[in-house]
Order: sequence, then C-alpha cells, then structure tokens
Amino acid sequence: MERLIEILEDIQPDVDYANCTDLIDGHYLSSLSIISLIAELEEEYDITIPAVEIVPDNFNSAERIMKMIERLQEEY
Amino acid sequence: MQLSSLLLAGQGKSLTSLFSLLYLLLFLPACIIGYTVTPKKWKRYFLLLASYGFFWLISGELVIYLILSTFSVHYFGIWIDRISQKMKAQLSELPKEQRKEAKAGFVKKQRAVITLAVVLHIGLLLVLKYSPFFTTNVNLLLSKLGLSVKLTVPSYLMPIGISFFTLQAVSYIVDVYRGVIKADDNIFRLALFMSFFPQIIEGPICRYSETAEQLWNVKPIEYKNLTFGIQRILYGMLKKIVIADRLTLFVNAVFDVKNDYEGGVIAIGAVCYTVQLYMDFSGSMDAVMGTAQIFGITMPENFQRPFFSKTISEFWKRWHISLGAWFRDYIFYPVTSAKKMKKLTSSARKKLGNHYGPLIAGSIALFCVWFCNGLWHGSAWSFIFFGMYHFVLILIGNMLEPPVQAINKKLHIDPKWFVYRLLQILRTGVLVVIGELFFRARGLKAGMDLFTRMVTNFSFSTFDDKLLKSIVVDRYDFIIVGITLLIILTVSILNEKGICIRESLAKKNIVLRWVLLYALLLYIIIFGAYGLGYRPIDPMYAQY
Repeated sequence: MERLIEILEDIQPDVDYANCTDLIDGHYLSSLSIISLIAELEEEYDITIPAVEIVPDNFNSAERIMKMIERLQEEY
Repeated sequence: MQLSSLLLAGQGKSLTSLFSLLYLLLFLPACIIGYTVTPKKWKRYFLLLASYGFFWLISGELVIYLILSTFSVHYFGIWIDRISQKMKAQLSELPKEQRKEAKAGFVKKQRAVITLAVVLHIGLLLVLKYSPFFTTNVNLLLSKLGLSVKLTVPSYLMPIGISFFTLQAVSYIVDVYRGVIKADDNIFRLALFMSFFPQIIEGPICRYSETAEQLWNVKPIEYKNLTFGIQRILYGMLKKIVIADRLTLFVNAVFDVKNDYEGGVIAIGAVCYTVQLYMDFSGSMDAVMGTAQIFGITMPENFQRPFFSKTISEFWKRWHISLGAWFRDYIFYPVTSAKKMKKLTSSARKKLGNHYGPLIAGSIALFCVWFCNGLWHGSAWSFIFFGMYHFVLILIGNMLEPPVQAINKKLHIDPKWFVYRLLQILRTGVLVVIGELFFRARGLKAGMDLFTRMVTNFSFSTFDDKLLKSIVVDRYDFIIVGITLLIILTVSILNEKGICIRESLAKKNIVLRWVLLYALLLYIIIFGAYGLGYRPIDPMYAQY
C-alpha cells in the first residue's frame, strides 16, 4: 500500500490518499492522472489493466486501487 | 391522407416524431392498453411486438437490418462466450506457470471473433452511410488529377436509427468480450434490448447492462409511473413544439436561404439554432424517458443541463451523454490503454511532467474520438470540421490549464467565485454556438462564409420587424420562445441544485397538481408552433 501511495503522490500530490474515498467522484484524479496511473501501475505490479477496469469504482480510493491490483495479479 | 394508410409498412413517417398525434393519440395509448390487458408473462413479448411494429411502420422492409443485426450479435456473443468457457475449463486444469501462455491463445481467438463482429457491424454502417461521401471525394480528387475515371456514387436506403442501434450492438458484443456481461442466450431478450420503440430513433444509446433486464422483467403499469411519464412527455413537448419548432422558420431563413444577412442576424440565427437543437433533442429525450417510465423502465439520461458547463470538456459530459460515454469506453480508453500508448505516457511523463506527459497519449485518443464523433453526425466535411473544432478546443483547454491555474493563484482569483464561473459558462456557450453554426451550415464553405460575415459585419441594424416579416415570423414568436425559455431555465436551475420538481409537486394536493398539468397542456396547445394539418417537424437527431 505504501508504494501505491507513493506512486499516487508522484502523479498527483497534495491529496490525502490514505483517507480519501472519492478520488474520481471528487475530481481529485483527472482523466490525465488516470492515464499516467495505469501506465505506472502496470509497470510496477506487472499487470495489465484492461479498459473495462477503468471505472470510478476501481479508482475512488487507494484501497480500491489496491484491491483491483490484487485481483488482476490473481488472474491467470 | 387516410389514417389507415399511415399504418402500412414504411408509411408511418409521423411516428418518427414522438410528439406526432399519430404517436401520442394512437400508437402510445394502444400500447398502454394492449400492455395492460396482456397477461403478465406475455407483457415482455407484447413490448417486443410493439417495438418491431413501430420500426416496421417507420422503416418498412428495412426492418431486416435490425433483425440481421440482432441475430448477428446474438451469434457472436455466444461464440465469444463459448471460447471463454473453454478457456476457463482448460486453464483450471493447467499448472499456474502454463496458464498465461494458454490464455494468450484463447484471447487471440476471442480478439479475432470480436474484430470480425465489429468490422461487420461498423463496416455495414460505413458502407451505407459514408460510401457516397467517399466516392464523391475520390471523384473530385480524380478530376483534380486530370483523370477521366469516374466512380459511380452509390445510394442506399438506410433504416432510421441505424447509427444508434449499431452502436448499441457493438457495445453489447464488446461487453461480452470484456466479461462485463454474459452473452444472452435468449434471442427475444436481446431483440427487445436492441429494438425498444421509444429509443430506436434517437437513442439514448443504452448498454445491455442498463436496460435489458429491466425490459425483460417488465412490471404492470403503476399510477406514479404513468403520471410521471406523461408529465415528462409534456415537458418534452413544451421544449420541442413551443420552442424548437417555433424557431425553425427563422433558423432556416438564416442558414438555408441565400441572403446577405449582416453579422448580428447570423449570430442570432446561430444562437437560435443552438437553442432549437437542444430543445429538439433533449425534448425528444424527455419523450423517450417519459414513455419508458410509463412502462416502468428507467433509461439512462442523455442530457444534464449542458449550458451550465464551464468548459467544452464538461459540456460534452452533459450533452448527448450516452454517445460521449460510448466513445469514452470503446475508443478513448482502448486507445490510451494500448501498449505503445502506455509506454509513451510513461516516458513522456518523465520528460514533460504530470500534466503534459499523459496529455500526448490522451490527445491522440481524443483526436480519434472527435474524428469519429464528427463523422458519426454525418458524411460531410462540415461534420468532420465540427469534430475537429471541438477536439482543438478541448486540447487548448488542457494545454492552458496549468498556466491559467498559476495566473489565478497569483491574482488571488477563486475559481469557485460566482462571477468567474458565470464568465466561464458564457465563454463555453459562445464557443458551442460557433461550433453549431458550422454544424448547421449547408457545407463547410457556407459555414466559413457565415462565420466570416458574422465577425466582420457584426451589426443588428437590419434586425427589425421588416426583416422578421420577410421570414414570416414576428416578434411574438421571440417573446413566446423567451418566456418558455425562462420557465425551462428556472426548472434547470432548480434541478442543478438537486431539487426534483416532479417529486416536490407529487407531495402537493391533487387539485394543484392537476391544475398545473392542465395549465402546461393548455400552454402547449395555445403556444405550440402548429396549425391545421399539423405534423411536427422531424426530430433533428433522427437523421444521424
């Protein structure tokens, strides 16, 4: 989780990622930030994030992002 | 014309408007009565029959396109699903280290199937809609090159709504491929999703996950849904008949008749056209939502008060929402998610920073979206220009975001300040109106000519009663439009603040509710732009 928060802070600083639960709905992360975030996450966690996963529910909090990463890592 | 002749295949052209008397006084009531008396387990089939009847009346034998499209996506969906099932069964028997490789083989197969499906459906749309435009331009190019070869410009009969149901078909098949939904093995459920009559002409472009189950698990008509549905249709009528249709003569005169109107009149014409288009399309959407609500179906909203938008980007998130969402999910994200794009984003971010780095890949994807958006609206250079115009505006908006934020910080301007937001809304409105001027003009050259005259000869000196009389409109038309717009603006402001007027009214006593409902009906009857032998002007988006 710590590494994920580091990545998020690198892309979009000044957000309380540990507690924020509306990163997308609250407009803390723009669509450009999401494009960067996806590229970084794929590189860092060796996963592929398909377009279908790019929904607010998966990106609204650091916890949700982590869950998506773990789920994608679990996949074959 | 005899009423009976309207009920023949392809003759029910009046039905293309959900505000026509044929629809409101005959088709819809007949559907409501038929639906009510049909036993519960057959209601879904009644809706399917009514939907195909509706399509047959407006398109005649061209209904075959809808049937073939439905069968095609049904078959492709099952095909993709079978590959998935086979993959799951086989992968579960393999050790983990071998799964990745095995999965790649199945994914390759699925990709081939989905590509074939998309090429077939979009290809058919391209041939029917764009081949005349393409061959005309090829001929033009050949003659410029001095070659005497000339291709025959094809002409095809297209069913109304093909652009809408094709996008719906593609979204279904791609969602099956992505695993968002399961392939539907029930052809009737899929057929109802593809053909539901209120939405077949102008959308909204629904996703299978949004409406298919609702339509299949239909419920009896309830009093609240019936009254709310009728209210919504009436509200749509107010927009369409009192405003949009009343502005038609003036807009047509400015854009269609060869004239030398001065810039101010052209600007008024462009504003009127923008209002007309919004009232026409969003009014039609109200009729779609209202009709669906009568049957207990909640359709996704297609408009969210777009003229309160502060940026062009926001405008397109509030205008024709279902089309924007379709382009976002099936073009924008797939393009930005492509491997090469992700690499580009990673390397560009390191060099250009957090804002401009991802902007490169984002802009390439946006270009694709807006090129397709322009083309989707029609096969003409003016539509491609319209798409590119919005692409450039959004691109400029994105590029200027950091310096504007820096300037605001330096000058201590709070972006939430009312005056600042109002200026942003006005600026967005002006940019939208300019775009609509090109959209409405008869070709790109005519659009350029109108725009040039608008900016170089900006004066209102000839905008008087004499000019209006020559167009067969008068100042009362503008007064009625103005008053009605004020009503709609008030409702929109309340909605924007989260106040739902219909819910508030539903809590008032029954006398007041019915008085208001009759007052609205009377207002439409008195001030609607129609006369004897009235037939509403065809919905503007039905042609796309």
